[in-house]
Amino acid sequence: MILPEIEYIQNQISNHISLFFNAKGKDLFESGYIRFLPYKKAITIQDKAIAIPFDIPIAPNQEKSYKIKFNNTELTLWNRISCPSDNTWEAIPGDSAPLWYKNRYGTLIPGWNLFGNLFHLLTFGEEKGSFPKDSHGRFAAAFSPRLKDNLLEIPAFNEAVAAIVGAYTGLCENGRPFLNLNGLLKPPIIVLSHDCDILRGNDIWTQAVRGVRIFLPLAKFKPPVISNIWWIIRNAVTPRRFYYDNVTGMVDLERCFGYNSTFYIINGKGGRFGARSGFKIIPELLKDIPPGWDIGLHYNYDTFLNDKCFKAQIEQLNYINDSKITIGRAHYLKFDPEKSFSFLQRYGIYLDESSGYPDRIGYRNGIAGCFQAYDTALKKPLDIWEFPMIIMEAALVGQYGCQSINKFSRLLFHLSCVGGALSVNCHPGQFFNPEHKQMLGMYNKMLIESRQLGAQSKTARSLVDQIR
Amino acid sequence: MEIRLIAEGEEELCNNFHNRIYNKNRTMQQWKWDFVLNNYDKKPIPFAVVEDDGKIVGTQAFIPIRLIDKNGIYWTAKSEETLLDPDYRGKQLFEKMYSLLFNYAGEHEFANIWGFTGSTPAVKALKRLDFSIPGKTEQIFISFLNRSISAMMSKSFYGSPKSVLDNIKIAMFRSAGILAQIISSLRIALNRKRVIGDLDIRTWDKPDVQTGDLCRRFIQKWGGTTIYRDNEYLQWRLFDNPYVKSVVKALYNQDKLLGWIAFTLGDDGMGYLVDLMIADDDSGYAIKDLIKALLLEAVIGTRNMGAIGIRGWHVNNHPLDKLICNVAKSIGFYHIKRGHAVVLYNCEAGKKRVSYNKFDDWFVNRIFTEGVLG
Repeated sequence: MILPEIEYIQNQISNHISLFFNAKGKDLFESGYIRFLPYKKAITIQDKAIAIPFDIPIAPNQEKSYKIKFNNTELTLWNRISCPSDNTWEAIPGDSAPLWYKNRYGTLIPGWNLFGNLFHLLTFGEEKGSFPKDSHGRFAAAFSPRLKDNLLEIPAFNEAVAAIVGAYTGLCENGRPFLNLNGLLKPPIIVLSHDCDILRGNDIWTQAVRGVRIFLPLAKFKPPVISNIWWIIRNAVTPRRFYYDNVTGMVDLERCFGYNSTFYIINGKGGRFGARSGFKIIPELLKDIPPGWDIGLHYNYDTFLNDKCFKAQIEQLNYINDSKITIGRAHYLKFDPEKSFSFLQRYGIYLDESSGYPDRIGYRNGIAGCFQAYDTALKKPLDIWEFPMIIMEAALVGQYGCQSINKFSRLLFHLSCVGGALSVNCHPGQFFNPEHKQMLGMYNKMLIESRQLGAQSKTARSLVDQIR
Repeated sequence: MEIRLIAEGEEELCNNFHNRIYNKNRTMQQWKWDFVLNNYDKKPIPFAVVEDDGKIVGTQAFIPIRLIDKNGIYWTAKSEETLLDPDYRGKQLFEKMYSLLFNYAGEHEFANIWGFTGSTPAVKALKRLDFSIPGKTEQIFISFLNRSISAMMSKSFYGSPKSVLDNIKIAMFRSAGILAQIISSLRIALNRKRVIGDLDIRTWDKPDVQTGDLCRRFIQKWGGTTIYRDNEYLQWRLFDNPYVKSVVKALYNQDKLLGWIAFTLGDDGMGYLVDLMIADDDSGYAIKDLIKALLLEAVIGTRNMGAIGIRGWHVNNHPLDKLICNVAKSIGFYHIKRGHAVVLYNCEAGKKRVSYNKFDDWFVNRIFTEGVLG
């Protein structure tokens, strides 16, 4: 009997191939070439096969990473596996940085802990148990052990699948793994979304925050931010400018690229961390989001694992929306990897986009794409999917400043070489708002880069619906 | 060296040649959209090349486009892709490529060849080929952010060290820009009140099938000639454009199409007014109010998209062009007399058209451009 962990990883790889490759994931596994085996057995195979050990534990201290040139980019691997001790194994492409070990019978075993790394990442292995939390109770990027080795921006799952597809194709053709994917990849995908946190710039909290920020620099003996007075007045007179108006602006801009996106709507309790713009404006907003664009729930701050609040919020939005809400993302990305999936499932959510970092850009689950949630206690997959958010505009600019677009472009280019979908979250209040000068034009530039790299736009739901 | 029409399999060579000379990265999808996927289905396509030892060293193309006048629909072509390797200049290759394409135009009964150029040497060369310069494009423009002034004037205010005089000029430009923005904002705000009552403005996902009919009504109302914008043409030009697509807002009286405006955001951050068409009917509203409503859609629309400004063309004395310019000025646009020369060559078939040698009869706007900026 196949172990549930193996079946789970096999299914995620198969789904991923179906979405991002011109190949059928199932074919790879049905061919019998790819086998998940205990390490001791994997190294004894004398057959043309890709033997992936599934029983190598993840080292508590992550081992140093290494890079391999692959399909016009570089793969970054960590948790290296040593070459099997007998002398019949050849390291490919070389001993210093092995992607595969190959024996004379044509058996390949990965040069790194492929199975362990992927399972660990997709099941939030880094976050299980007692981990540090930020002031909102979140697992921030700063707490990830991958941060110190610069691995947060490595789509490890995508790279592993790309390596497997290359190896499988090579094995079928000439018995050696390919280090390229000629003609096998679909164009990269860009998954756009917008958290509609603030729709009117004149709510009491937004204005109060501006007011306080006028004087905050005084504490550091710096001049006050007088310009905030202008923004207080400006949004008091025209509350929708740079907020609600940006929703229609973003839709129109996306039209210019033939793209579409998902709008996550927050309703329910108000407050500094709550729904600041009130409920009255939401029916109008829903009318302004055209067919072809998707609508989801932005789970309010107070609904985190709180049945009563969550139920009230989703019921209120369902009441005014044409169709039942089935997708969502948490406000402030509040998310518990052990409890949130089953909690969300109870309210009909089958796709969540909360697994991202609030403080940095990066692949929290090592994947640029989507995966099915897995309950490690019950050892079974759940009927809910995660589409991790990779880039939040403010985090990108905060981290990379004027190099932000270069960074974005490099991430997308990398995915064009290994396959995958880059998920980007841009808030209406940041999209075009002279109050945040560094953000001006940023979203447009991201879309220009995406078009230049031939990226296609899909909503998270449309991708998940293809494989669900 | 061989001068001939493009052969199958040379598409990528031609595009690579363009990218090498202009230092651009135009994709094959964009090349195909321009020259192959347009609404002209005849083969071979009117794309001349100079080939030397397997290398493409010169190109000249026509993009066939239908126009409409009171006698019906007819073919013309837009001149594009004029390009010669600097090492091959002075060998009359430009003239020879045009000669080949003029023959093509004659055979296929194109009425005119037209285009736009900002380069003085190109104007001189085209004049030698009997092109006339019947006018030039001018701009209507609103600034939303100060950056748009430098973009509009094609001048950078940043970078290398500047003299005192330069700094004074920059300060003047910036002050003028801020003043212009304030005046425009006030005018937009004063004109925002909806004046078209029960008329409906809809955003298109694809062109309405009534567009061809509206072009006919347009000619009845305004006379002259313009691009025949049926739904097939608009689909290609605005919705399938791989450079940048347009947002199209259309005005309806119940379900009858009265007109539309197309606008977009260029890669330079500037909003562009790509097209505005309007035909009269019995809606009971003044035509200038309908134009105003459409222009405001574009102004507010591009501003919400984050544009630094919005610009459109004013080209000649066509009555609608003049009216649009006047309405635009009333809602905060500025008229700037800077632009490119219009070049026009009349083929034999063009001599029988009603607008022959009457350029003021042509209703021209940015939809006549190649479409790279929308």
